[in-house]
Amino acid sequence: MIRTIIIDDEPLAASIVQEFLAEFPQFQILEVCQDGFQGLKAIQQHKPDLIFLDVQMPKITGFEMLELLDEPPAVIFTTAFDQYALKAFDAKAMDYLLKPFSQARFKQAIDRFLESWEIGKAERGAEPELSQLAEKSNRLVVRVKNDIKIIPIQDVAFFEAEDDYISIHTPSGKYLKKMTMKTLEETLDPGKFARVHRSYIINLNGITGIETYERDTYLVKLRGGQQIPVSKTGYSKLRQVLGM
Amino acid sequence: MGKWIIPGAGVIWLLGCFLLLIEYDLETEVALLDSVFFSLIFLGGVFVLDRVFGLFAPKGKNVWLLFAVPFFLSLMGVLVHFYGLSWWYEGEEVYLGFLSSNFYLRWAILALAEQLVSVLALVVSKLERQEEIQKREAQMLQLSKDAELAQLRQQLQPHFLFNSLNSINALVISQPQKAREMVLQLSEFLRGTIRKDSQTWISLEEELNYLKLYLQIERVRFGHRLEVDFEVDQEFLSIKLPQLLIQPLVENAIKHGLYGVTGNVKIGISGKKEGSYFLLEVDNPFDPESTSAEGTGFGLSSVERRLFLLFGRTDLLEYGPEGNLFRVKLKIPQFQ
Repeated sequence: MIRTIIIDDEPLAASIVQEFLAEFPQFQILEVCQDGFQGLKAIQQHKPDLIFLDVQMPKITGFEMLELLDEPPAVIFTTAFDQYALKAFDAKAMDYLLKPFSQARFKQAIDRFLESWEIGKAERGAEPELSQLAEKSNRLVVRVKNDIKIIPIQDVAFFEAEDDYISIHTPSGKYLKKMTMKTLEETLDPGKFARVHRSYIINLNGITGIETYERDTYLVKLRGGQQIPVSKTGYSKLRQVLGM
Repeated sequence: MGKWIIPGAGVIWLLGCFLLLIEYDLETEVALLDSVFFSLIFLGGVFVLDRVFGLFAPKGKNVWLLFAVPFFLSLMGVLVHFYGLSWWYEGEEVYLGFLSSNFYLRWAILALAEQLVSVLALVVSKLERQEEIQKREAQMLQLSKDAELAQLRQQLQPHFLFNSLNSINALVISQPQKAREMVLQLSEFLRGTIRKDSQTWISLEEELNYLKLYLQIERVRFGHRLEVDFEVDQEFLSIKLPQLLIQPLVENAIKHGLYGVTGNVKIGISGKKEGSYFLLEVDNPFDPESTSAEGTGFGLSSVERRLFLLFGRTDLLEYGPEGNLFRVKLKIPQFQ
């Protein structure tokens, strides 16, 4: 049995997936979820093999939900927006169904999934590299135990690299997100954030002062009182964006 | 210059000359011929100057032409007048003596008059040109305004259409009757957005009916999650307003309501009179904690732009969070 979950905020849109999937007896639908929160919970609980995922959903998008999963299942996106196709491809999606889709097109997606399933790839094989998605966004979605927290990007004081993770420092606390500094840097507005050090990206808005630390190294003081080391290249970048 | 100005000036010139010459004790016949000839020369000069300075405006280095042309034209005029009449009245010593005695006076008067005419022609042509430009600009503005209004009105969210079609796709097998109903509703809705007589205002009742059509489609898509509360008094149903002004506001409220919070969403739509305005409020649930993934969106800014194009004002649309609601207030000028 291949275990699946459908996540779509429109009941009729979910029902058509159910209807089309009924043609394939080897699939079992465990749950139909109406938003990313339910979806996240269901995925963690059932560990499905395949999910059908809508993009535009209440509060958090399908992509943001995927980012929160440590071991994402195989994904077939179902959405009316074609502008996400590239992003879905980067997320190593099995397929990308544009609503409304035909039964033939649906079968094609299922066949594609089954093909990789049979050679054992689909099973946790399609590890999404969501971190490679560089799309400018004005918020970050993080998981705090079983809760989801949405952080407006302007609330972030600075980011700090911690192994595979990035810690996000905000006035309301510190959050972890699995991501690389390089990707993060690409998604941020260079007019508002600057990577001043291999391990630090700061919010330019929060700078209260810059002082010399040692020869060729500097310290940036932030509004929250934190002091962030600045490398030599970071300093010249900073001078440039601040127009010093 | 106006059609009557040149002949009028000619008649005045003729009368003035004639009376002046009578005053100088000239015979009536001689005075008449002299003044008629002088007037014709004056008129010819005016005609030429009007043509010249109506089409050509001397600028910078060429400004001297504005003085030189009337100067020489008037000289030529008095010379033609002098030799013409000298030839005609050959041998009449008294008149010829009179003619040569006031040659310079005539030149001075003619030169002054033609100078004045040149300046006037220049000013008038400038004004006319400016008026022409303004008229053309106003026309261009109107054209682009109409085009922009039409475009803004027809701005249909394509994914609304695709998602609706997807819902129909789902209904076709399970509830064919409902699918057919939705096809009809969707068609009627689309017909409304591409209506030809887009400039005419419609009654609030029509707009609300259209809105209900839209809401029925959205209700099919989102099912029980979406609830809409109308609160508009019967007495306002007949007021007139521009087409499709309310629908984008409701669309925006639904979008942000449905995607901004989880669970059920109640959209409130109310209308009342406030001073000389009809005030329409649309509110949707709002989570102050969460940041929207895509800002206030296209909906509100397009309505703002349309209001500016229609009324030339930017203060008719207000919006912002009020506690757990996001409220949009639209003021439509009425009740004058």
